[in-house]
Amino acid sequence: MSDKIAKAPEKVAGQPGRSRWRPTRRGFLIGAGIVAGGVALGYTYGVPWVRLQMAGIFDGAEGPPGSFPKEPWAWFEVLPDSRIRLYLMKVEMGQGVHTALAQVAAEELGIGWADLDVAQASTERDMGDSLMTSGSSSVTGLFEPLLAAAATFRSMLAGEAASLLGLPADQVVVAGRSFADSADAGRSVEFYTVATSRAEWEVPQEVTPLKRWQEYSVIGQSLPRVDIPAKVTGQAIYGMDARVEGMKYGAVVRPPTLVALPKSFQAGQAGEVEGVIQVVIADDFAGVVAESRAAAQAAVARIDATWDEGHRWQQAELEQLVTVGGSGGVVIQEVGDVSRWLGGEGTLTAEYRTPLAVHTPLEAQAALADVQPERVRVWCSTQGQGFVRGQVAKAIGVDEKIVEILPTYVGGGYGRKAGWEVAIEAARLSQAAGVPVHVGWTRAEEMRYGYFRPLTHHLLSGRVEKDGSLVAIEHRQASGDVAFDFLPPFMSAVMGADFGAYRGATIRYDVPNKRTVAYRRDMPLRTGWWRGLGLLPNTFAVESFVDELAHGAGMDPLAFRLRNLGDEGDSGRLKRVLQAAAELGEWGKPAPAGRARGIAATIDVGTPVAMVAEVSVDGGSGKVRVHKIAAAMDCGLVVNPDGAIAQVEGNIMWGVGSALIEELAVQDGQVVATNFDRYPLLTIQDAPEVAVVLVDSGDGKPRGVGEPPLGPVVPAIANAFFALTGRRIRQLPMNEARVKAALA
Amino acid sequence: MDLHINGTDYTVAEGSGRLLVYTLRDELGLTGTKIGCAAGFCGACTVMVEGVARRSCLTPLAEVEGKSITTIEGLARRAEDGAWLLHPVQQAFVDAQVPQCGWCMSGQIMTAAAYLGQNPAPTEEELVAAMAENYCRCGCYHRIRRAVVAAAGQSVQAGSEEAA
Ligand code: FES
Ligand code: FES
Repeated sequence: MSDKIAKAPEKVAGQPGRSRWRPTRRGFLIGAGIVAGGVALGYTYGVPWVRLQMAGIFDGAEGPPGSFPKEPWAWFEVLPDSRIRLYLMKVEMGQGVHTALAQVAAEELGIGWADLDVAQASTERDMGDSLMTSGSSSVTGLFEPLLAAAATFRSMLAGEAASLLGLPADQVVVAGRSFADSADAGRSVEFYTVATSRAEWEVPQEVTPLKRWQEYSVIGQSLPRVDIPAKVTGQAIYGMDARVEGMKYGAVVRPPTLVALPKSFQAGQAGEVEGVIQVVIADDFAGVVAESRAAAQAAVARIDATWDEGHRWQQAELEQLVTVGGSGGVVIQEVGDVSRWLGGEGTLTAEYRTPLAVHTPLEAQAALADVQPERVRVWCSTQGQGFVRGQVAKAIGVDEKIVEILPTYVGGGYGRKAGWEVAIEAARLSQAAGVPVHVGWTRAEEMRYGYFRPLTHHLLSGRVEKDGSLVAIEHRQASGDVAFDFLPPFMSAVMGADFGAYRGATIRYDVPNKRTVAYRRDMPLRTGWWRGLGLLPNTFAVESFVDELAHGAGMDPLAFRLRNLGDEGDSGRLKRVLQAAAELGEWGKPAPAGRARGIAATIDVGTPVAMVAEVSVDGGSGKVRVHKIAAAMDCGLVVNPDGAIAQVEGNIMWGVGSALIEELAVQDGQVVATNFDRYPLLTIQDAPEVAVVLVDSGDGKPRGVGEPPLGPVVPAIANAFFALTGRRIRQLPMNEARVKAALA
Repeated sequence: MDLHINGTDYTVAEGSGRLLVYTLRDELGLTGTKIGCAAGFCGACTVMVEGVARRSCLTPLAEVEGKSITTIEGLARRAEDGAWLLHPVQQAFVDAQVPQCGWCMSGQIMTAAAYLGQNPAPTEEELVAAMAENYCRCGCYHRIRRAVVAAAGQSVQAGSEEAA
């Protein structure tokens, strides 16, 4: 080895704070062979730098959902340089949650933005939050608890500062990283001095008063995201990047079909591959630990495995399986009596289908596990570290208390990183080999061995009066499971219908008779959390159908929607986003030659969103082009407007891909795709121009933004396609073959 | 075997068939270069070799031995006063607040930086075509477009300042 190669220094973010609430520090190596004197980037940005110092949160899956850290020490730590560090259990996967929550904290801490540091908490830091980072709920769920914790923390420190300075409590003010005498700025004491002046602190009994939302000065600003500097310089660490000294690489044997069960595993020739350290064989599991990924993958292919391959499912069989009808339908919405109005003449009916889709985050599943007798640590890209902790403990047969999960940045979650398979794989291999093992899935594994957005099928019928008012709508939908695969079986037994699968399925218009029925279909492959859950399939069906009703009644699709929405409550909010999107999208003005516009709207997690899409189609190739999407969203009080807009933009691109190209095909019992050649994604060349306007209903409440905008994208495009061609495509994706068939 | 990366010489084990992406990430700890597909489709692994964008997942070490390799970690420069200066493309990505999850971003930035290095005054269409084989699953395309257009403007300016 050359003397040019030296050990990397341990990368330790920040310095120890005060022992009373200080989490244990852990070294985290950035690679095992960084050149001495090589580049160690460190920028000063004037914004807090998110550290990869990781310490604990989540109390495992047992805790009651929605419980939050109550005491300020769980959230905050005063660093020796008197910056205040905020620990977050929510993981940053690009949704800007670390920035948004830092803004919430900064608002009540009353300190400068640059004096606040943000850190990802690991499961060791007992923050008692049992929720995943999902469901567009992070900011809405933590908003008030975090404001209260920040206000309490500040008032405790301020009170102590006042007594150190010999002043009445109301005479100290924040000055930079100190508290100062409001009458004499020269008299001050630094935060760190205050924080270390006592061994014990008492959290005050009385509630510290909070600002009124009209007084917010940090919340509501488009502050730059705290994670972006690290992401443009290659410094951000993700699960796939996790490295510790002495680590090895692992790979695992995969089944040949969707339903295959292992019969036997034998090491075979695997041990002969150069670089193999250990071949690990169990009844239900076989894998390899090796010096390099290449060696691990080469060796795993040589393990002798025999399988009971089961039925070789075909695409058409799956579609047939997921079809509305028969018994088992659960009524999830019932207003009036649709049966009186539907079925006879004047009833319009239509049928829609959506395909399997895969999240395929660009960072595949990845985890690094270090299993030692007394202590287990797993670094991974995860949206649900508390669940990972419990699952890993169970899989390797240890007490959960000795397991620490250290979440990294997540290189794309979208629901897929709510799983724990890769963490278990790394832990089992590490346990067997006695060394830290990193498992990073290949693209083929990511395409085939996770869980998918399920197939769905929708039957709709409806009736409209001559004056354009809706009389009745019924939506019956069938879907593979979304949430049920992840919940204890008793919950699915109690609920009957999967709330994830029917998200977005109910009729939100003011119709005197409406009914929604959900059919649960058990698919022979794992289906589950996917961005927005059922929102995209259901909104595609419902909002396409509403468009059909509008055209059937000879009405303008916007006017028809407005006609059937009241002015109060959610109806009024939905109406206002429709109007705002219409204005932004130039609804009612002639579209450029060869193009047409479509509109659609939805309300999801309390957030109404509407969009106008402008499309054209190349009749020869059958390629649909989405030129523009104008969106209006009412997410209430917005913590970071630019961040909210970025979420709308991302959802639009995600939706365009689902509308036009994404479809995961199954053939002969296996997913066809192993890489992006058979499951291409939207590219920048096919990305539409986007314009976003945020509408605030003015009640001072924040609402979810991560998923609601996914709802209207696809139907807005489908409706524009109809406006352009007079043909309706009722099965996704609207790919070239389907477009050509529709135009023929 | 010697590799010249970001102005630093590294000695790695012999074995010219190994792929650059794994050597960077797993052997040298330069994890700023990402991996998305290992098959040339996504662009997440893009680095520069002698200033030209290369997919490191398709690049055997033999092809880059002795050549000048730049990864995202080496794109920023030190100014005379010692402060770090982001490359204009990096700065444009910060200014436009482009990254979401960020996993594709090293590849996006290296692709754009390499392209602008060769064609400092492209049209917007040319730029978008140059970026067309870099996937972003989070869908940051709108902002990537904005940022690369801004960076192109800036690199034209920087060029003319240097010339002046
Ligand atoms: S990882 Fe190299 S192109 Fe995708
Ligand atoms: S930012 Fe997530 S893939 Fe591009």
